Order: sequence, then structure tokens, then C-alpha cells
Amino acid sequence: MNDTVIELKNITKRYGYGDTESFALKDFDLTVKRGEFIMIMGPSGCGKTTLLNIMGLLDRASDGEYYLNGEDVSSISAARSARLRAKKIGFIFQNFNLIQDLPILENVALPLVYVNKPRTVRLKSASEALRRFHLGEREYYLPSQLSGGQQQRAAIARAIVSDPEIILADEPTGNLDSRSSHIVMEELKAIHEEGNTIIMVTHNPALTVYATRVINMLDGQIDTDIKTVEDHNLPQPIDNKPKRHRRRRH
Amino acid sequence: MSLLLRTHLKLARTSIKENRTRSFLTCLGIAIGIASIILILSLTGSISNLISEEISDIGSGLIVVRPNTSKDSVTSIIEQLTSSSSFERSNLSYKDVETIKKIDGVTNVAPIAISSNTISNGDNTLASATVLGTTPDLIEIEPMTFRFGTFISDKNKESSVVVGHTIALQLFNTQNPVGKTLHFYDQRYIIVGVLEEIDKSINFDNVDYDNAIIMDIETLGKVIGQPQIQQINVKAGSTSELEGISGKIREDLVASKSGDTNFSVAYGDEITHPASTLFTIVSGMLTLVASISLVVGGIGVMNIMLVSVSERTHEIGIRKAVGASRYNILMQFMFEALILSILGGIMGIILGYILAFFVSVVTPFTPYISWQIIAITFATTLAVGVIFGIYPAIKAAAKNPIESLKHYR
Repeated sequence: MNDTVIELKNITKRYGYGDTESFALKDFDLTVKRGEFIMIMGPSGCGKTTLLNIMGLLDRASDGEYYLNGEDVSSISAARSARLRAKKIGFIFQNFNLIQDLPILENVALPLVYVNKPRTVRLKSASEALRRFHLGEREYYLPSQLSGGQQQRAAIARAIVSDPEIILADEPTGNLDSRSSHIVMEELKAIHEEGNTIIMVTHNPALTVYATRVINMLDGQIDTDIKTVEDHNLPQPIDNKPKRHRRRRH
Repeated sequence: MSLLLRTHLKLARTSIKENRTRSFLTCLGIAIGIASIILILSLTGSISNLISEEISDIGSGLIVVRPNTSKDSVTSIIEQLTSSSSFERSNLSYKDVETIKKIDGVTNVAPIAISSNTISNGDNTLASATVLGTTPDLIEIEPMTFRFGTFISDKNKESSVVVGHTIALQLFNTQNPVGKTLHFYDQRYIIVGVLEEIDKSINFDNVDYDNAIIMDIETLGKVIGQPQIQQINVKAGSTSELEGISGKIREDLVASKSGDTNFSVAYGDEITHPASTLFTIVSGMLTLVASISLVVGGIGVMNIMLVSVSERTHEIGIRKAVGASRYNILMQFMFEALILSILGGIMGIILGYILAFFVSVVTPFTPYISWQIIAITFATTLAVGVIFGIYPAIKAAAKNPIESLKHYR
């Protein structure tokens, strides 16, 4: 059984008006099933990042419909979209985006602040997540005291700490050397195999081996869309009930 | 919600600690404003405190009738300041004293009428001394202690006077002047008593007794005509009837003055308030000036918060991306501004009382600490924090997360 996590219908993102009007996305349709690992590729300016921002509720489409877990989120309030970001979406960025003044433990615990988890629970979950990415020894390091690869692993820990429905990664390996890239991709692969849905933007064709589906974009539209794994073979969460139980077993 | 509050508090603490010098200087701006307000309020408070202490010394049976020249009216204060004598416009007369005397329950009545004249004892001359006209009843209403002699009485009131401590020293040095004569208003008067030093320049009579000569009002009236009564002190037999008696006084006075209501009758705490309306206005103006420095301090808070918001744009972007709502960001920066101003407020309260203490060393004031003053200044601090913190906080909350994430340090 494959749930639909994301459904985009006729999504259009328009910038400017009249002569200066341009489209980052034009009548974009996409359906994402639970357990997919989608890589989005394409030349600069083809709308990859805009797509990711819209899916992550950081940006709003000019037109079209967006269903997240069956809920129409095309025109929800800012407060509601902040809540959904906290609960259902995990971001991984090219430049890690960790708060420099906070130790990585607090950085990882950050999303839990906004879902009203008590401090002890936050730090415990964050600590678990960090241990999982082999950073358990460095909980109290500041981001600047870690290597790029380590920072990105901390950022991945932050993305999964609140058990999101989808993980959105915008060129997570873009700032890393090949060795660190490899480690980061292995970690992403591992969390995908647990049944997480990952949508990743990349420029590096070599990374498509990790994907279950590769989408090539051109001028705000889908150019090619190739599934390498059949829907029924996608990794699924061990149980679909509260995902927290699932994570606790690891 | 309380969890988030705690997080906001912790965040604010961290951020303030990280920029220690900057935060301290910002707090100092607030502290200076609050300190000057505290200083003024504590000195004002000490003055009305002095008066209410005096009234409680006298006992609570006191009713005070005052001419209504300046009931909280700024223009009449200015008139009073610019006219040559502030005692000229009283509409109370000796007839009113007689009227009050007849009321049931009134045991003593003492008017306070002030004039001034050159005083001499043959050897020394004082160019201008205060001459206070009253009745022998004054001693029954206001307890006074005597260095020499006694107060004027009904028997000797035609020719006798009581002199204040400082005047006695100036004219007779340390000799006992009782029985000696004083010459003023072209008459001779015999000194029957000398007051002990009072050293309280402020009291509810608005008279400096150390520098006054006290005599009978009728005797004074004979030489200067109608004395200007600035206040009539009335003592009631029992404290429970104060309200009834003061009502009766008002009624009878209006009747006898053919409808003129231009006077006020006060008892209990009301007496302290208009001890000097002028003084209230001056302290009000001072507070206003002090508030300006508080506003400047508030602008300092706003300025530093704007810097903080712009420095932390990237952080705001990250927080929004991981799920912070506008409200969360607003509260985060609001709390920081509030804590800055509260810290400043606490510093200011301490600083203000230290200053008030130093002022009290060189003046007769004792710094007056009351929870009301602290509560008022604390509320002011909170208001400053909110007023000057809200704009930067709104600015932070309105930031676009995508733009903010591109904003590297």
C-alpha cells in the first residue's frame, strides 16, 4: 500500500508582471508516494529550488493546488504552514544552515522547540539523533568547530529529529568533498531505507544511483521522469502508526 | 505555551550574554531614565510623607479649610507665580473663623494668616520676617514645644507674641528673650514664648515656624486691616464625625459667604495633597523631563534590537524553516527587548535610590521607598520594553524565510 504524501496539481510560480513576467514553474504536476527517494536535476534556473521551497511551505505558488498528506495547503495561513513545517517537513541545505551560536545539540533540537516539546525531551531526542550520525561525542561543539561533512550530518539529524513526513534536501553535497559526500549520501540512503520520503535537488548525476526516481526539469516543467524502483518495492515504515515507536527501535 | 516562554527567556539570556557590553550600555540608557524618575518620585514622596507624618502626630481630628485659589489649575499657578504676593487672593476672612467656631463638634479653630514686616528689638533689626496671625487655639491643634515661655493666651493676646527659633537666635543670640519687647507695625509686643527648633521646612500649614513670629489674628488685624487667611485649621471633638463636620463647615461657610464656594474643606489624607500645588507642578515637570531621558533610553533599546534583528537574519531564516511561526519569532525578540529594559529598570531603581540617598545627605529629605513607586517604575519599564521592542520584533517576524536563508554572516 502506497500513500500519497505530496500531490501537486498545475503548480505555477510567476515572477514579475507584464513584459518582465517569467515563470519559475509552469503547470507543474507531481505526485510523491511514501518511501520514494526522488532526485531532481536540471540546469540552473529551471525552478528546482523554487519547487523545493513550495513543497517545503517556505514559498507559495502563484497558482495551482498542493495537497500534503491529503490536506489542501495551497492557501493555508502562515501560522498553519509554520506548524506543518515543524511537524511534517525536514530541510537539509547546501550550506548546512546551522545556527553558529548554538552547540549542535541545540541546533538539532531546534525543530522540537516549535512543537512544544519539553527541554529534556528535546535534548534527549537530539542526542539520540546525533549518536545515530556518529556525532554523539561532539554534542556541545559549535558548528564552526566541525568539518563540513560533520555539519551536514548534524543538519540531517536536525531534519529527521521531529519525524517528518518528507525530507527536502537542496544540494546537500554541494559544499562537500567527495569523501564527505559519500558519507552523507550513505546516511540519506540509510534513512530512506527506513521508509522516509526524500526529495533531493542535485547537480551531480553520479548520485542518481541512490534514487528511486529521477526527475529532469527544464524551464519550470518536467522534462523526463524515470522510476527505477516499482512503487510496490519502495521501502515502507515498519509500522505506519505513530512513527515515534518506529524510531525508538533503532 | 509556558514551555515556549521558557525557551524565549533562555534565548534572550543567551543573546544578551553574548553581547555583554552592548547589552550593558543599552540597559544603562534605560537605567538613567528610571533612576531620575525614582529620584524625583522618592523625594516627592518624602515630602508628602513628612506632611502625613505630621498630621498623624497631630491626631486624626484635623479638618483644614483652604481658599480655592489654585485647585489643580496650571494657569492659576502661573498667576500666583507672577503676582507679587501669593497670599493676597485669599477669600477666607476672620468672619469665617467665627462661623466655624459655632458649629457643633468643633473644639478648636485656628486660622493661619501670613504677613511680613521689619522687626526690631532696639539693637538688631530683621528686614523682613514672617508674621503669622492665628488664635491661641493653634497650640491645641498643633502640638509645639517651647524652649522658653508659653504660647499666647486669650488673656495676653492683645500685646504678646511667640517667636521662632531662628528669629530668636538672630535677635537675641542665646539669651532668654521672654519678657523682652519687639517692635513692628509701629507697635510694641512682649515676647511670651520661644519655640524649640523644628527644622522641618515643609508642613501642612506651609509655614516655616523657625522663621516666624506668631501673634493673635485680631491684634494683627488692628494694625494691617483685613489679614489674608491662607488656611483655617479645625479640630473636631471626635474623629468619627469628621465627614459630618466638614460637610457642615462647607454648608455654613457657603451660607455665610452668600453662595461663594471658592474654598475647600479637607480632612485625613486629603490634607497632604495640596500642601503645595506649585510643588506638585514642579515635580510633575521634573518627571516629564526625566521621562524624556527614558524615551531616549527606549530608543537605545530599539536601536540595539534592530541591529540584533539584522545580525540574526540568517538565524531567523533557519528558525522559520524548521517551523517557527511569525508569533514565535516576534516573541523571541520581544522578550529580548523586555529583558533588556527590565534589567535597565532594576539597575535604575537601585541607582535612583543611591542617588536619593546622596541627595538626602545634603537636604532635609529622607528618601522615601514605597512599593507603589517601585511598581510604577517597573510598569513604566515594561511599557518601554514593549513600545520600543515591538517594532524590531515585528520586523524580525515579517522576514521572508527564503531571503533570510540567503543572508550569510
